[in-house]
Amino acid sequence: MKHANRIITALILIFLYIPMAVLIVASFNTGTDITEFEGFTLQQYVRLFQDDKLLGLLGNSLLISILASGIATVFGTLAAVGINSLNPKLRKLVMSLTDIPMTNPDIVTGISLSLLFVFVGTTMLGQKESLTFWTLLIAHITFNLPYVILNVMPKLKQMDASLTDAAMDLGCTPVQAFFKVTLHEIMPGVISGAIMAFTMSLDDFVISYFVTGNSFITLPVEIYSYVKKPVAPKVYALFTLLFLLIFVLMAAMNLMQLRADQKRKETRVRVETEGMKVFKRLVAVTAAAALVIGCGWLILHPAEEKVTLNVYNWGQYISEGQDDTIDVIAEFENAYPWIDVRYSTYSDNETMYTKLSGGGITVDVIIPSDYMVARLIAEGMLLELDFSNIPNYAYVDEAFRNTAYDPENKYSVPYTWGTVGIIYNTKYVDEADVTGWELLWNKKYDDKILMFGNSRDAFGIAQYLLGYDVNTTDPAELRACANKLKEQRPMVQQYIMDEIFAAMENEEAWIATYYAGDCLTMMENNPDLAFYFPQEQGFNMFIDAMCIPTCCQEKEAAELFINFLCDPWISGQNMNALGYSTPISAAKDYMDPEMVESELAYPSEEILVNATSYAYLPEEITQLVEALFQEATKLID
Amino acid sequence: MKKTNAALLSTPYIVWMVVFTLVPLGVVCFYALTDAAGNFTWANLLELRAYLPVLWQSILYSLAAAFICLLLGYPVAYYISHRSPTAQKFLYMLIMLPMCMSFLLRTLAWVGLLQDTGIINDLLASLGLARLKLIRTPGAVILGMVYNYLPYMILPLYSTICKIDHRLIEAAEDLGCTPVQVFSKVILPLSVPGILSGVTMVFVPAVSTFYISQKLGNPRDTVLIGDIIERLFKQADNPNLGAALSLVLMALVFVCTGIMNRFGGDTQEGDVIV
Repeated sequence: MKHANRIITALILIFLYIPMAVLIVASFNTGTDITEFEGFTLQQYVRLFQDDKLLGLLGNSLLISILASGIATVFGTLAAVGINSLNPKLRKLVMSLTDIPMTNPDIVTGISLSLLFVFVGTTMLGQKESLTFWTLLIAHITFNLPYVILNVMPKLKQMDASLTDAAMDLGCTPVQAFFKVTLHEIMPGVISGAIMAFTMSLDDFVISYFVTGNSFITLPVEIYSYVKKPVAPKVYALFTLLFLLIFVLMAAMNLMQLRADQKRKETRVRVETEGMKVFKRLVAVTAAAALVIGCGWLILHPAEEKVTLNVYNWGQYISEGQDDTIDVIAEFENAYPWIDVRYSTYSDNETMYTKLSGGGITVDVIIPSDYMVARLIAEGMLLELDFSNIPNYAYVDEAFRNTAYDPENKYSVPYTWGTVGIIYNTKYVDEADVTGWELLWNKKYDDKILMFGNSRDAFGIAQYLLGYDVNTTDPAELRACANKLKEQRPMVQQYIMDEIFAAMENEEAWIATYYAGDCLTMMENNPDLAFYFPQEQGFNMFIDAMCIPTCCQEKEAAELFINFLCDPWISGQNMNALGYSTPISAAKDYMDPEMVESELAYPSEEILVNATSYAYLPEEITQLVEALFQEATKLID
Repeated sequence: MKKTNAALLSTPYIVWMVVFTLVPLGVVCFYALTDAAGNFTWANLLELRAYLPVLWQSILYSLAAAFICLLLGYPVAYYISHRSPTAQKFLYMLIMLPMCMSFLLRTLAWVGLLQDTGIINDLLASLGLARLKLIRTPGAVILGMVYNYLPYMILPLYSTICKIDHRLIEAAEDLGCTPVQVFSKVILPLSVPGILSGVTMVFVPAVSTFYISQKLGNPRDTVLIGDIIERLFKQADNPNLGAALSLVLMALVFVCTGIMNRFGGDTQEGDVIV
């Protein structure tokens, strides 16, 4: 029995630490794939310390968790003292109030707070940005408070009430009695409450994910968006360092406590001084850390008046300076030093729309696709552009003006155009099966098929396959499409967007449908991948265009940014890295000739003969499509 | 006089908690009972029926996870609580430590381990064995839940077992109990509060997770209620239906914890954690 327990404990510890070991090993890997160790390097650590953005996010996380746990500890300790002196009935009531955030699932807490902040901030007070640093701080304090209270209360109950009385009989004021006696007695509870609050706050993802706007982002929330695309190995390096740091801190605290315990055995009097010492040291360490981080934050976020430009773009949709490409945002910030770009990404048009319509955030530039531009125009969610600030618009090809989605060229400037096709792995997929969209319904490739994780693109494929108009508003046809998608569901590995890159490159999946530009990138990374245009059935051709939403606060800077991206040199370099097609012919002079001649990026008229664009559908049809998509891909059988 | 003064200290806290926990829940109710335009409707609540299978599935998965956590966690907690104080502290720390690290990245590491082209399967293949279907199965989702929430089971069990009075065990032994009887008649009944709070602490995050099922599950049989709520809020632009589902989730959790508390009798405040 005893041996069995020991063995189980050992096995459980191994189980708990295996994934950590995987991540730590990955931080020394020369390759980017977590499953393949290609060689040892310390390069990821160097990259980590060069990455101001990642370190800034870590700083944000520490700032929030130190502030929130600090405030919650002081506030919660006082409250606990108060609750302890309430009459029992009232105390019980308050304690059940305290239990609500403890018991409630994080997702519900996050959603309820974000709805409250947006409701009060946007609907009632009419603020443009209601999800900020401060609301995130409030959320963290709120879920930290119960940890403090639940740790302090038992200590207060254990405490001999006559101790306070004795102190006051000896001439202490109630305040003095609190600091000299009560606080001293409950200190272990306060400390463990503070530590618990801090760690919960530091690693919180779910609540922050729902409460975060786009102006202040913590590390876990950013990691979630990394997870949607290939994770940069420097993130593993960061993980390893944090692991070591927390390990050392915890071990040190345990040692200090152990020593204090030993001393306690020796003399009763020494206990108190030792306990206080531990606490004082802890306070000193925390305060020092807070100070360093606070100063760091102030340095990173200087008080000087810089214009902050919020750019909200698709994931993997701007050249970021990897492998000898240019870093477009850095170039822009160099050209306009008074502008600070805050860049965040979305996975698809629908997610972007949801975030915008949910309110509470400030966004200055977005890059939706054609049909979404039309929808945003129709719903009055875009501002008219001042083209005198966008002289580079002159470079935009005639073919991309007076489009169906923005017939008067008032609201949008094209960024890229492209097509949708099938990407497959020639190692596993029989060429004879590659005949059209039905490949994605082929039972032979069960669990190896990836499908679009957004309603419009997924419905489009069903529509091409079934021979319907992609802009049909006939509910019967849409239901038929939904049934087709439902039929496909058992074979689909996942409904995803940018995660497709990793899954196709490491051969976890064999067949996917995605944007041709991204497929080019994947094919560069895995030579076994091939691309296919279902020419006869037809496929989607799209234009993604830069727009300024009504929640914009820096319109002029936004127009400068749009103008910058239309610069032929910038556009050329950007498209070189992205693999998408440029609407600016002049940019081709600055591009890799191979890219310009690629059939994939610039398909011939012949290939494009059946290509069609998505148009804006009436609101109720859009909603029907969305509901049918949810039903077909996720919910009910 | 003194007592009422001290009691006043709790007022700001009560106000804070009312404003930031009760009021937001009221806002959720408001959203659940309105449509996109803000008009009153029962439609969201009526639509919930369609989601019952998913809800049921979420409950099954998380109960399975909680049960496995209990089976695995009990021996560990028992073992730790019978070590020397130094060893206890160290082991306790080892169990706590993973909880402080990014659970997103740790789950991602499991993806790397379990994938068809992942570490475990590559290892099997290099040994000349057949590759196994590990990821995107119900088992993988339950594994992810067990992995992430096992410490939540071990810690309350540990503190409950530590509190068991040794004289009771000795008394049972003196009265002729076999070790098995000592365990089943004394130790196990006395650890019930720890078991119940452990089960609750695993069940609640497991039933509402969306990340684990997105990463380790498949679109066929591991869709959980959290996935749907997340999709409704983040992509499908339907916060009203999402709010209605959140209410259901919340009601489910409160009913479950209510049942647990009833069985467990009045546990002391603060017993749950620490």
